[in-house]
Amino acid sequence: MKEKHIQTLGIALAAVYAIFIAWLYWVEPKSLEEVPSKAQTTIENVTTKTQVAIGTYEIDRAKFNEGLAAFRQDSFIVARDSFQKADVEKRDTRTQFYIAYSFYRQGFGRVSNDDALFKQGLEQTNRVIAADKNFKSDDADLQLKTPVELKNEFEEGLKVTASDFNPLKVLRERK
Amino acid sequence: MSQVPSPKSQFQELSDENLCIVDGELLYDSELADGTLTQSENQKLKTKDQKHDGQRTTDNKQLQYIFLPLIFLTVALLGGLRLNAEDNAFLFLKPALVCLIYATLLLVLFFRAGLLKLDGWFSEKFSTLKNVANGVVLLALFFASTQIFNSLLPERGLPFWVFAFCFFWTLWNNLFVEFQGKRLLQSLGSVFALAFVSKYLLLAYLTAPASASWWRGLLENPTQEAFTWLLDLPRFSTGTGYIQFFAVIFYLLGLFLLPPSTEQWNVSERSFEDSI
Repeated sequence: MKEKHIQTLGIALAAVYAIFIAWLYWVEPKSLEEVPSKAQTTIENVTTKTQVAIGTYEIDRAKFNEGLAAFRQDSFIVARDSFQKADVEKRDTRTQFYIAYSFYRQGFGRVSNDDALFKQGLEQTNRVIAADKNFKSDDADLQLKTPVELKNEFEEGLKVTASDFNPLKVLRERK
Repeated sequence: MSQVPSPKSQFQELSDENLCIVDGELLYDSELADGTLTQSENQKLKTKDQKHDGQRTTDNKQLQYIFLPLIFLTVALLGGLRLNAEDNAFLFLKPALVCLIYATLLLVLFFRAGLLKLDGWFSEKFSTLKNVANGVVLLALFFASTQIFNSLLPERGLPFWVFAFCFFWTLWNNLFVEFQGKRLLQSLGSVFALAFVSKYLLLAYLTAPASASWWRGLLENPTQEAFTWLLDLPRFSTGTGYIQFFAVIFYLLGLFLLPPSTEQWNVSERSFEDSI
């Protein structure tokens, strides 16, 4: 074997081994059995990042549809989980808008709103606005079509005003 | 009638008269009487020697560029690996900043002591590939050195600072001492062995085993619980000591096999001991 071949092989082997070690320290598997599942997760993440980098990123349609179905059945926790899995990179405005909307619908109350959920919803809405402030939903089921309207609803819900004590408030409808 | 000589008289005659002292080198049976080989035989011997040298050089290169980085990287892998006391789960501990500093000091020490010669590893006379390959070997050595300190330094608490200070003291002193490479290796071996014994035997002995509750542990092992609490000792499985033992052994083996200069392996067949 020629010297340069040995050197090339040495560099390649060392590089692969070093990457493997760095990966092990990064993902920190708890046991040898956990290594394949960690590897699969890493490959999926790398694939997604590559897709984002080269502009071919797309959400997982099946997961999105699952999330939408759960959303329509008022199963918001399941819906959010599916939406998050559908859009791992949080780059699809439509999916992110649905996540924000799910916080609104879950937190809405006729007597009082769930402030914790509304705060999360507000943060999520701000992210949607930052991603695309001109976004408008085409879903007929949603009465709040834009993130600005949704943001206003969250902000009003979080405020304590005299109107909160109006007994007729119980008659208002969820949007 | 002729007289038959007795065996004794025959031997005496031979020893006294006929034997003469032969003073000269032994020749191969194929060599000519004047000590020269025929051209074809000479060629054969040369070819055989060249093949032998070539094989040896190839083996050395394989050791240097393939096995040495693998040995050092294995140390880098094992050096931060611990096993949890409760379920033997892997714990990958990243090295503290001080480990990187000590590894740098150690590499400087290697060059100062002549265990490594800078111009023997990097030179404009070498091809780019060779410089890169040498750099990879030394990078692997640096990672291994970092992780060996990660392995031998206690993870936290007072023992960490005591061990760290002792290592720093030793390395700093050694920086200003005229060392031979072999002596440096012996010194390092003894320091690492002492650190290993202190951490994985002494401190491990003082560490209380994991128990279901704090009260139960205090009742069963009051002294160990007290030391564990006072010295903030982490609880690891006994398997950790075995792993780190091999990490230290592999590291010292790698250092032993590391040539001071990559050129040395080409021009001569000196052993490691000769070279240092």
